Amino acid sequence: MLTNNSSSTSCVQVSRDLQQQLVLLRLSLDSPALQFPEIWLRDNCQCNVCYMQQTRSRLPHGWNYLDPTVRLLQLSWCTERKSLQIVWSDGHKSSYALSWLKERDFSHANRARYLRDSYRPEQRLWCGKEFQLIQREFLYDDLLHNDETLLHWLHHLAVYGLALVRQAPLEANVLRDLCNRVGFMRSTTYGDEWSVKAQPGASNYAYLAEPLPLHTDMPYFEYKPSITLLHTLQQSDSPGGWNLLSDAFYVAELLRQRYPGAFKVLSETPVDWADIGSEKHLKFHNIWRAPVINLDANGRYVRINHSIPQRDSHFSVPAEQVRPWYEAMALFIRLANEQACTFKTTPGDVLTFDNVRMVHGRTGYDDTDQNVRHIVGAFLDWDIAYSRWRVLKTDLGHYNK
Amino acid sequence: MLSQGLRRAVSLLTSRTLVRRQLSARIVDATYVELQPDKAGATTLTFPGVWLRDNCRCPTCFHSSSQSRQLDWNQFDASVRPLALHMDAAQQQLHVRWSDEHESSYTLDWLRQRSFDASSQRSYLDDFYRPRTRHWAGAEFEQIAQRFNYDQVMSEDEPLQHWLQALAVYGVALLNGAPLDEGVVRRLAERVGFIRRTTYGEEFIVQAKPGAKNYAYLSLPLPLHTDLPYYEYKPSVNILHCMVQTKSRGGSNLLVDAYHIADRLREEHPQDFERLSRTLVDWNDIGSEDGREFHNIWRAPVICLDAAGGYTRINHSVPQRDSHFNVPLDQVLPWYESYARFVQLARADAYSFKTQPGDVLTFNNIRLLHGRTGYDDTEQNSRYIVGAYLDWDIIYSRLRVLKKRSASSSSSSSSGSSSSSGPTASAS
Repeated sequence: MLTNNSSSTSCVQVSRDLQQQLVLLRLSLDSPALQFPEIWLRDNCQCNVCYMQQTRSRLPHGWNYLDPTVRLLQLSWCTERKSLQIVWSDGHKSSYALSWLKERDFSHANRARYLRDSYRPEQRLWCGKEFQLIQREFLYDDLLHNDETLLHWLHHLAVYGLALVRQAPLEANVLRDLCNRVGFMRSTTYGDEWSVKAQPGASNYAYLAEPLPLHTDMPYFEYKPSITLLHTLQQSDSPGGWNLLSDAFYVAELLRQRYPGAFKVLSETPVDWADIGSEKHLKFHNIWRAPVINLDANGRYVRINHSIPQRDSHFSVPAEQVRPWYEAMALFIRLANEQACTFKTTPGDVLTFDNVRMVHGRTGYDDTDQNVRHIVGAFLDWDIAYSRWRVLKTDLGHYNK
Repeated sequence: MLSQGLRRAVSLLTSRTLVRRQLSARIVDATYVELQPDKAGATTLTFPGVWLRDNCRCPTCFHSSSQSRQLDWNQFDASVRPLALHMDAAQQQLHVRWSDEHESSYTLDWLRQRSFDASSQRSYLDDFYRPRTRHWAGAEFEQIAQRFNYDQVMSEDEPLQHWLQALAVYGVALLNGAPLDEGVVRRLAERVGFIRRTTYGEEFIVQAKPGAKNYAYLSLPLPLHTDLPYYEYKPSVNILHCMVQTKSRGGSNLLVDAYHIADRLREEHPQDFERLSRTLVDWNDIGSEDGREFHNIWRAPVICLDAAGGYTRINHSVPQRDSHFNVPLDQVLPWYESYARFVQLARADAYSFKTQPGDVLTFNNIRLLHGRTGYDDTEQNSRYIVGAYLDWDIIYSRLRVLKKRSASSSSSSSSGSSSSSGPTASAS
């Protein structure tokens, strides 16, 4: 099969691993072969009977009758078109471009690269003392007009869960403009934007001037809003009104290492999170049951739920699990407080953080007639933010292809 | 419906009679509070002390206008113990004095609604939290598919509640008699809460568009799939309002309860079930809408399970499954074999019917697969469907509010006493 040796780059060797039903593509003598399962190649045929270029998607009807026993009959490499050519037992012929194949190589290293560069960047957990090191500031105008800055901000938010935007105008449309720059706002029971101002008779605990202990927003939704944006319009002149933030994935990791019993309890005991009230005449009664620390099947952190006011008095677990849960929770809260960083935003700041991961709070404050603390908030979803991050990386040429 | 309301009212009445008899309270193992009726055979209620302390109802610990806990957890002592109990029969209240010097009072109604008894908790979860789902085969469709009148759902609370309940239990329900205007899906969604927006906007129109960037916007047959599997936060319920149906032979809706297919795999092909519930698949959508590009990816199995093995979500879409497949090589061929089985079982089970103008088809996009047969538009007859999404968070919230309202109206009309504010899920 190896014939043309005019240059080492065009010297591509194709072969099969019959036992594992793989196609192997060796690009040079000193690098490992690219590996592709035969059934996957058939499924991803790029011809216009199997794939629709216009919608960039697989045409679906073939799959209603897909035969997983389909076999490869002929295999060859076309040097001229730099493509892999295959004839199948169902009579179909396929062709795959080298660049397309390289991007989808099944090697562990390539899959890890794809997940890190294209799916979601790897998160870095941090303790309270590292706040100054991981803290980054972005200028509002740059975010609106410069794609590199926008990408940098989204990337920082994804990796560290926290970023501060500065010098935004003190205007009502700031959060909407910022969210539209990414995609669109996430609406909740409380509307699109919401105002955090002391309201003595408020139906939500955050709308009071009392200290607000560390929490995540809206743990009572299965589809919890992902990114919280808080725009400071007026800050309190009183000594209070400080922001508190803690990386709860880091706190969970501390528990996992030092208090595995408490970690197990907090990651396995479902808690009833609830919010009962009304907003603009629509009454609501939200409940979501989930642990404080939520893990995926591989034990990685996917979500933290924590809110003292929004934890229901209903606790739907056997009575004997209650006390161990309380002991573990008290420990979690103590560690989260120990790891919290504190700072006080000033008017024009937009604090942005990952609400799935971080716990946030504020110290109490006192309003006066002349000085009424006023924060406007909104949410964005990670689905939308990561989509924008991927598009920007492609447009700005940040992939090493 | 009447018998259900009656039963609820009777259970409230009997629980009140029971309360009038004496209850005694005692501390067990220094940490539990036990309420015991003096009648043999009646249920003993046991509450963990630390939970009672955490849920103290006094104004220092509980903020009544926001209905939420405000006790200072930075000072909370998880080893707090009850020291003394007093049962006030006249006020129907339990008083507790605590080791941290605090004192609390709880009404018996409030306590009964929060019983830790397993069957009470089960009924709270099944009746009030999220109704238990019932899975169905395609052949059962006509028996399980409930139909509601659009005007009644829009104007009366009871049909609204029954529609949402049917949607939660069976994953599908139909409305008919809707006017033929484009505002129907929005009005219906706002009757429940609000529309869930996606990359494709709020309302969307399904109409043949030859150059469309999304496969659904073509008139070709659309095989079974779930919408937007490439979102972590996948839209929950699909609302499809038929304004113009095709007069050609095609355009039929196909629906499958994929939880039923998963049940069959679990039962008959456990290895396929295992692979489809463990292998992470890359779902994606690349394109643009209104001039804005997007690149959505979400990695998740076809059958998603919670920690207890219950179904949380089905993902399936042939066009929106990425060519990137980030699993080790040796998992690829077995996964394809299992997936082909899933698709084959689903296709064989699909129920086919054709909505008519004025019909609104609503179904659970987390659970059901849907599709349609191909069709041909003419100049006089161009199939036109308006769609929108709702999220379960918002639907369940509305359903709970409706259930509380109907429970309190039925109890106050039959017993004449003031109704409790909480849901009626007490053990009777």
